[in-house]
Amino acid sequence: MTTDLQRNWYPIASSSDLPKRHVYQAQLLGREFAVWRADDGNVNVWENRCLHRGVRLSIGINDGHELKCQYHGWRYANRTAGCTYIPAHPADAPARTICNNTYPTQEAYGLVWTGEEATGDVPALDGFADATVLRPIPLNATTDMVSEALVGYKWNESCLGFANADGSVTVSDSNGVSIRFFIQPTDSHRSVIRGIVNSSLSGDARKDALKRHSWLLQELRDQVEAAASQKEMPAPYEPVIARVAEDLVNIPAIREDGPAADLRVTVAEKEMTADDILKVRFESIKGGLPTFQPGAHIDVHLQNGLIRQYSLTNGPGETDHYTIGVKRDPNSRGGSVAIHDDVKKGDVLAISAPRNNFPLRRDAVHTILIAGGIGVTPMIAMARALNVQGLSFEFHYFVQGESHIAFSQEISEFENAISYHMGLSPEETGKKLGEVLSEPGHARHVYVCGPGPMLDATRKTAADQGWADACVHFEYFKNENEVDDSGSFEIDLARSALTLTVNDGQSILEVLRDNGINMPSSCELGACGTCQCGVIEGDVLHQDVYLTDEEKAANKSIMTCVSRAKSKRLILDI
Amino acid sequence: MIKLYDYELSGNCYKLRLLMSFLGLEHEAEPIDFYPGNQHKSPEFRQINPLGQLPVIDDEGLVLRDAQAILVYLASKYDTSENWYPSSDPAILGQVSQWLAFADGITTTASAARLHDAMFYTQIDVDVARAGANKLFRILDEHLYFAELDGQDWICPGDHPTIADIACFPYIMLSEEGGVSRMDYPAIRRWTDRFKRIPGFVVMSGVFPAGPAVEKEAERAA
Repeated sequence: MTTDLQRNWYPIASSSDLPKRHVYQAQLLGREFAVWRADDGNVNVWENRCLHRGVRLSIGINDGHELKCQYHGWRYANRTAGCTYIPAHPADAPARTICNNTYPTQEAYGLVWTGEEATGDVPALDGFADATVLRPIPLNATTDMVSEALVGYKWNESCLGFANADGSVTVSDSNGVSIRFFIQPTDSHRSVIRGIVNSSLSGDARKDALKRHSWLLQELRDQVEAAASQKEMPAPYEPVIARVAEDLVNIPAIREDGPAADLRVTVAEKEMTADDILKVRFESIKGGLPTFQPGAHIDVHLQNGLIRQYSLTNGPGETDHYTIGVKRDPNSRGGSVAIHDDVKKGDVLAISAPRNNFPLRRDAVHTILIAGGIGVTPMIAMARALNVQGLSFEFHYFVQGESHIAFSQEISEFENAISYHMGLSPEETGKKLGEVLSEPGHARHVYVCGPGPMLDATRKTAADQGWADACVHFEYFKNENEVDDSGSFEIDLARSALTLTVNDGQSILEVLRDNGINMPSSCELGACGTCQCGVIEGDVLHQDVYLTDEEKAANKSIMTCVSRAKSKRLILDI
Repeated sequence: MIKLYDYELSGNCYKLRLLMSFLGLEHEAEPIDFYPGNQHKSPEFRQINPLGQLPVIDDEGLVLRDAQAILVYLASKYDTSENWYPSSDPAILGQVSQWLAFADGITTTASAARLHDAMFYTQIDVDVARAGANKLFRILDEHLYFAELDGQDWICPGDHPTIADIACFPYIMLSEEGGVSRMDYPAIRRWTDRFKRIPGFVVMSGVFPAGPAVEKEAERAA
């Protein structure tokens, strides 16, 4: 139940309480918060508990981009509070629904404000544009008792105080000095006095004022606490902590078929980052953007009706925008050319939430990132995450020439890790890959993204040199294999208790859709992994480039957009 | 080699492990079963320390008790830079001594509350102990708030932490095990982050490490 108090804005910290790489602990109306400032300046006010085992996040580690729980190392992104990595599941991308509760936050008058259900802006305070924030004084008493005492607060004989309608107290003297006191209701019987003076003091004058009021307010505190100790104090608040996200509690709305485009974004920036490569920055029109993890991609729905997938290049904690790289493809079917030529700064586009079918392990002893051409984009995001966490990695960027190097600004964050291999012939590339992959070993992982032939070469070289399949991770831009859609077969849907026929020329995905079965999809070319489905029985004719050879041989899953049945019948886990 | 009569969960023993780690001093530990064995009250141990308390060190035959006294001894003998115990400056020396005594107060309050809650010392009046700890924390929080204002990171003036910081740190950091929250002491909480970033910092059970500071996040890629 929301009370009036929960709709108010309250200051819960001084801005100076939040240096970088620190987690501040706060409480308001009984509810505890972990409060932290990311390196980009954004202040996060979150429920003070890890979603995993409930350990306080205020003892966690603020690495400037993410907040890491001390207990089992779950990491949460700046701004969104979405979980980005779970060390116990290093090969998986955490579900998007694993997201901590966040609370409205504003920074004004040198104070950090929040309120469980606060909306709009922090109330405007006339005369406090240049304020000096006093040292906050916590005390064990109700806000009413504190308010009453503050009305009588005096630093000289001319002081006169009164309570404001919003519960704060103003005290002014005859010299024009005025202090506005806010009373933070930590709990029903505990409060914090947060005062601001109506002038910007500096140097010794500031220090003297801060010392003087710290002393006087502590004297006031001792008196109020002495009085409070004689009184019966109200029972503590019992804030209800939501157990699961609302979208898990409620049945989701029925979605339209086809690739979902839940988000509307504006094109905030569009600039060339290399020859033929465009860097596009999307910002949300309303509300925040969902959490992403390194390796994630989004679907971009273009004005001409085409849908294209692009990897995010964002670093950890960069949660107020998405940035992608788009290469002008001379053989474009209309996607890349449309973005290069037709999309303009300020345009509104529909995009999907990020999906991660190329997750990055963070438990590797050493990680080798290999990028070819525009395949650099997911690698940029991965390298930035590894770099921020101080994990060991090297980055091999195969590129035509210097003018083709994209995202140099982002690369400058991890200059020591990057090697450029420029203008190599296929043979030279193969030889170089042989050197790069010369040392397979325990907990060493390879991630590669680039043109099909280069990926094939990397996977073959890795296999020849003794790398286990499970340690070589890849993402193809597209499926360049000829897809055979001939022949008809039956599919049994085990969970839906339906038997359907896939006819010559149809895909499983189309048949599912025609029969009202919702299946997420993205590239629909067998490259991205989104329309993956479990196989219970039957032989699969794999035609995708997403699954590894080992996974294909296991016959446990299928890409429903391109793959078919070798047998007469497939039983699918859907 | 220095021998430390040690108990893993003792904050007072931890003070010495911290200083020896900061100084890169090797030592051997002789574990004493404080809880539940009560070995520090045994006749054998009382011949080493008649007070029946930990920690005690034996440095080549010199046997010393009392955490603060041992900090003074180890820093004076082994820290040739005189950073940890700046004995040539009377003003600083006075302040270090003042806060060493303050640390003793933290032991009799915050540590006592922890003994009550975590090790079943039921004879301790835990309310009194907690109230005492909060009173001291209020004083230290104000001190550290105004120290920060002067650009001073540590309890005593100067660019380097002193044994006063070491003496105060453990039972403040463990206070929640005795039911004393540090939420009301933001300046103390920031100081504990800085303390954990001192090169050579080691943890003990119940004390977690800090993440890297901003300036430390330099070139780390392989």
